[in-house]
Amino acid sequence: MAKNDWKIGVLFSKTGETSAVESTMANATLLAIEEINARGGILGRAIAPTFHDPSSSPPKYKELVKALLDDHIRIVFAGFTSTSRKAILPEIEAHRGLLFYPTYYEGFEFSQRCIYTGAAPNQFALQLADYLLRNQGKTFILVGSNYVFPYEINRIISDFVIHQKGRILDEIYVPLTADAADVRKVIKQAQKLKPDAIISTLLGRGAVMLYEFYAEAGLDPAQMPIASIGTSEAEFILMKPGVAKGHLSAVPFFQSLDTPEARCFVAAYKARFGKDAHVTASAEAAYFQVHLYAKALELAQNDDPDELLRVIDGLEIDAPQGRVRVSAENHHTALWPRVGKVNDRNEIDIVWQASDRAEPDPYFLFSSDDEWLRQSRAAGTF
Amino acid sequence: MALQILRHLKDLRMQVIHAPDADGKALVEQLSRIGCTFQTTWPIPETIAPNIDVVFVSVDPEFRTQIMKLCSFGQMTPPTLIAITDYEDPGTLQTVLECGALAMVERPIKPFGLLSNLTIARSLWVDRQDQAKRIRKLERKLTGTNKIAKAKSIIMETQRVSEQEAYETIRQQAMSKRIPMDDLANSIINAHELLTSRLSTLKS
Repeated sequence: MAKNDWKIGVLFSKTGETSAVESTMANATLLAIEEINARGGILGRAIAPTFHDPSSSPPKYKELVKALLDDHIRIVFAGFTSTSRKAILPEIEAHRGLLFYPTYYEGFEFSQRCIYTGAAPNQFALQLADYLLRNQGKTFILVGSNYVFPYEINRIISDFVIHQKGRILDEIYVPLTADAADVRKVIKQAQKLKPDAIISTLLGRGAVMLYEFYAEAGLDPAQMPIASIGTSEAEFILMKPGVAKGHLSAVPFFQSLDTPEARCFVAAYKARFGKDAHVTASAEAAYFQVHLYAKALELAQNDDPDELLRVIDGLEIDAPQGRVRVSAENHHTALWPRVGKVNDRNEIDIVWQASDRAEPDPYFLFSSDDEWLRQSRAAGTF
Repeated sequence: MALQILRHLKDLRMQVIHAPDADGKALVEQLSRIGCTFQTTWPIPETIAPNIDVVFVSVDPEFRTQIMKLCSFGQMTPPTLIAITDYEDPGTLQTVLECGALAMVERPIKPFGLLSNLTIARSLWVDRQDQAKRIRKLERKLTGTNKIAKAKSIIMETQRVSEQEAYETIRQQAMSKRIPMDDLANSIINAHELLTSRLSTLKS
């Protein structure tokens, strides 16, 4: 690490409950840094990252971000769960640093010192519910891990579904580190209530079990798909081929996305981390946020967090998912909502995408007559 | 209930009475992020703008008189009031309480906490309005009951009937005239007062 390199910190878990997806985020971050350095760095200086493994543990996240800040590394790319973000952010704020947070989350937050490059609920939850109501039916059960993200997503989805004359038959929460018995109960309830879809915000291994037990029970995804928010290519690949076939997922990026930018990103990722390596939506956000930082750095001419913040409002770049823009009002990012369906190779085919990027509304309260959704549905492709 | 409050948050008309400084800016920026509709006013005006549901007001000791004047609503329904303050000394707190604020937000304004305070204040306000309405209704009912009791005793005394018969008389009369029982009771009391006063005048 040369003395005048641009120093950044990177915290994504390589071990622990959510390591499957967080490893893809660490990889994507590294890929973007290597790309930028290969073309000569920024203003002639290379980016020098310090990577640590927080082991899917919020206290460990806090400890590691403190260590980075103590080393005068004030620009940090980190976080997956909301608890990890809440552990990091106060430290970043206290040291006047800057956090790039690449995960879709429940919203209701704004920090002057955080750039949110993952989706807010108005950029994925509504679109998924709307897709299901139009294509699948009107009755649902909601299943989530027992923490803030699933509660908030389920509140938004319930409100939307009820407003559209649909029904929520049950809402089930299982522990964050769910065991087989917890997840089997969900399948049993689905067999009993026979909803038109199971909307899942389960995380990590619990999500994997949900699909496996579903397949074991011989249920039919065409009749009652699991529509997930958060289950990614990284989790699908852990399942036996065919297990997840026909199930749905909603995020701004799938690795099957067929645009030059997306193909280029996925190819580079696989070339770097192996042809079996899978790219997730969170990895895509982790990737483009490094390029976003690089562009801000070029404009600001130095990496003082306050200088970067001054130029980052309204900044746009071509991300693999499409052109994205940081909102000056709320520091979240205008993104491209998409719904995908798992095929028999455990890859996700895109079945719906918005005709235009969706502006972020992190303080999104009630949606019933959301103008954007109405318009995008009218103009939506597929 | 909580969701009802959140559901209507964006329909509320808000007024921000705060200096256009860094804190005032942080306050309106966060209100914009939440999606609230608001107008800004400074310096402290004589009265709240018409049809305002929620008021954020900077409470500074040096403007105590103006704030108290601004927040004297008399018989009118007050808006939901949220105080913005620098200090929590007893003097400031006294002003906060006296002006009727239902929540307090400290400076420097941080994004976190504004939505919570707004929701709690509005929820308290809704509860208070419901309670005030209930109290008014109960007071009316109590007055009515007292009048009926008085009318009953007048009838019992003048017509030498039982309490039950007196009550039935009032009820029947009210029904046939299609007026509330307490209105009829009022007429009986007034008529009785008039007659007794005339009688006593004649006697003397």
